[in-house]
Amino acid sequence: MTFRRLLLALFTLVIGFIPLSALAHKESDAYLNLRTDPANDHRMHGQWDIALRDLDYAIGVDANHDGAITWGEVQARRVAIENYALSRMQVKGDGLTCDMQPTGQKIDEHTDGAYVVILFDAVCDKNIPSKLTIDYRLMYDLDPYHRGIVTIHSGDKIAGAVLGPGNPVASLDLREPDRWGEFKSFVTDGIWHIWTGIDHILFLLSLLLPAVLIMRRTKPRGGGWRLGAAVAEGSGALMVLAPRSSGYRWEPVATFWPACLDVIKIVSAFSLSHSITLSLAVLGYVHVPSGLVESGIALSVMVAALNNVYPLVNKRVWLIAFAFGFIHGLGFASALSGLQLPAGAMAASLGGFSVGVEIGQEAIVLAFLPIAFLLRRTRFYQVAMLRWVSVLIVLIAAGWFVQRAFDILIPGFSAILPA
Amino acid sequence: MKHAPEGRSIEARRSSCCGVLRLILPLLSLLPLSLAAQTDRVTPYIPASDSVVLQLVPPTTDPRVRQFERLRSDFNARPHDSAKAVLLAQAYVDYGRSTGDARYLGRAMAIIEPFMASPTPPIPVMLVHATIQQSRHSFKASREELELILKRDPGNVQALLTLATVAMVQGDHERANRLCVDLTNEAGNFMGMICTASLRSLSGQGKQAYALLSYVEDPGPKAPPEIRAWIQGLMADTAARMGNADLADAHFRKALQQTPGDNFLLADYGEFLIDQGRAREAIDLVGGDAQSDTSFLVRVTAEKALDLSGAKADIAEMNARFQSMDQRGDHVFLREEASYLLHVEHDPKTALDLARQNWQEQHAPKDVRVYLEAALAANEPLAAKPALDFIDRTHLKDVTIDPLVVQLRASKPQGSSVVDSAVIAASASHPTPQGSNR
Repeated sequence: MTFRRLLLALFTLVIGFIPLSALAHKESDAYLNLRTDPANDHRMHGQWDIALRDLDYAIGVDANHDGAITWGEVQARRVAIENYALSRMQVKGDGLTCDMQPTGQKIDEHTDGAYVVILFDAVCDKNIPSKLTIDYRLMYDLDPYHRGIVTIHSGDKIAGAVLGPGNPVASLDLREPDRWGEFKSFVTDGIWHIWTGIDHILFLLSLLLPAVLIMRRTKPRGGGWRLGAAVAEGSGALMVLAPRSSGYRWEPVATFWPACLDVIKIVSAFSLSHSITLSLAVLGYVHVPSGLVESGIALSVMVAALNNVYPLVNKRVWLIAFAFGFIHGLGFASALSGLQLPAGAMAASLGGFSVGVEIGQEAIVLAFLPIAFLLRRTRFYQVAMLRWVSVLIVLIAAGWFVQRAFDILIPGFSAILPA
Repeated sequence: MKHAPEGRSIEARRSSCCGVLRLILPLLSLLPLSLAAQTDRVTPYIPASDSVVLQLVPPTTDPRVRQFERLRSDFNARPHDSAKAVLLAQAYVDYGRSTGDARYLGRAMAIIEPFMASPTPPIPVMLVHATIQQSRHSFKASREELELILKRDPGNVQALLTLATVAMVQGDHERANRLCVDLTNEAGNFMGMICTASLRSLSGQGKQAYALLSYVEDPGPKAPPEIRAWIQGLMADTAARMGNADLADAHFRKALQQTPGDNFLLADYGEFLIDQGRAREAIDLVGGDAQSDTSFLVRVTAEKALDLSGAKADIAEMNARFQSMDQRGDHVFLREEASYLLHVEHDPKTALDLARQNWQEQHAPKDVRVYLEAALAANEPLAAKPALDFIDRTHLKDVTIDPLVVQLRASKPQGSSVVDSAVIAASASHPTPQGSNR
């Protein structure tokens, strides 16, 4: 054996021979605390303490490499730290991943040094979690001895777990499944979905506008309709000039109840058909690509509004509602997409959402109908509302259709109205 | 010290001149322990200004850090090359060992682990893997792996050495002896002698051990300081075991001259000083490094022995440290904690529990000692039977242990506790698979 080899062997020998060396520092730990919010069933407040030494090793915090990590350096890396950490841990409520929203950055001192404190909210807005699951992957690729010391507080219940690469998942039953609470929360979701879904509102409005009016044909159908006039009328450009177009005229309904009955028919038909496709889609029996659904909805709005300008259907508007309701139902389903809830929770959420959508649209109807009935005799209603507004709706819907079907961005359009 | 020691919670105005900063950093670590004592802040806070220094980490001026970076980029360039991985992992293990920073063991493990997936991993990979397990006191797993290596490569010097060491720590002197013989055949007299001397030192043959070690005390001018420090440390331990305190002291000092700041040596020497009634010197020795748990433990023990005013706060801090270690669930520090509970917290019952758990894994003289001390203090002499049997079998002699043996053999358990402790002793002699539940 050469002396060189001996030295090498000796060096390894030194390492080998000191197993008694007690470790001076504990190994890498992080402390994760989650606390339910008594005021909000969907929100958990989290505090995650991660050692600065670990973060410096993982993503670099000591920007100037002088061996001293300052508060300024930590602040400069705040986004990187949050992205790094929060992407390595999932909070799930009944299997549904909750959204992680960082809310603040602080510092804490633990027994082995300074830790960054990531304050965050885990927002589980898809449901009211009855069982909370933490999937912990921090440092799993950098230090197999890293441990996440997790504490979950829910009311007076506390659960603790030590998680690491070999054992990354912990769960806590937060509460008895609250189906009624979930139902209620989805009712709200449904209402907001229809109120903020302007395409659904415009579709409904287009169908409802003529409900307080009756179309009287001034000439027999098909007789004397010239193509030029139809085009002029359809384009809307000439409509102001020719308010009393040839072939038909609108007359106000005499009493409230026939109009009301008409509205009830329209709304019920719409509800029935969209409920069918909403259920089928959420339960996974039907899948239509969202591009197709969205363009279909735009087309439905266009057709419904066009029917006011260039009436083809008047007595049986509910048929339009029923036919296009199927495609709107598929659109509602997208709001619930990704829900893989246990059966009970699924029933509660689907039912709640449907009821919410109904309530939302009834509210629109209730607000619309009395006003429309009062205004039905005015030229404002018959011309401005029925024609101009319908034309405007046609234009908007056409814009949506082009954007959604052909994936073209019309400059300035999205700024006026959300696609 | 070659590297800037890690400290915390040190609020220092950042100097515009890096050179000045570099001079200040080592001094910062000498800041009073009052800082460390208040470290367990209850609530997170926002530091007063951007320039507040929160944490010291090894700076790039540390040559070892630059070496890490070089090895890391070599490895990144060829991530499937196990030789590159072994070099990087080995550098982390060495650094972790000398600084006592356990995080580096984990980092090394992460690098080496993917290569362990193969049914027959390269032997250097297995060696690093076994070394890490051994450093984390996973002796059983380490032993199994080292035996596997020796099956594939019976002459592997490092495997022989490491296994011999683990066998000694676990009290398997027969296996250790055979390994020392193999080592002499494979690696020559130098290492064979150190191996044999270490074993003799544990088997009541201190004089022979010391004589053997003095043959190799000067390993030549080219030997790295770590080798010298290690031999000096063995001589110090052997001299201390024989009761020759002055000689031991001299060897400890020589060892520390070679590797100043070595975490293991500081703790070993510190414990020796406390045994010698020189607690104040122990505080002076380790006082600068409050960050190291082992050094801090020596400090707290010494303060308690001297009944110093600062002891209370430091005991609270030490309790917090043990608590956060317990939270992890794996107990690497059982012996230290048992000794702490015994001498600082005066809780012999719990100390005995821990000593007994520790005994499942480790049979080194310090493990024997704390076991016997705890059994005596808890007035359960029968509980110490496994350790007493071990002493009979190995002929271990140590001035800190011998009087305990005499006391235990002479003492009779008081009345009712006889049955209890007999039961405990019986159960303790049947090791449970995972004795770390508390």
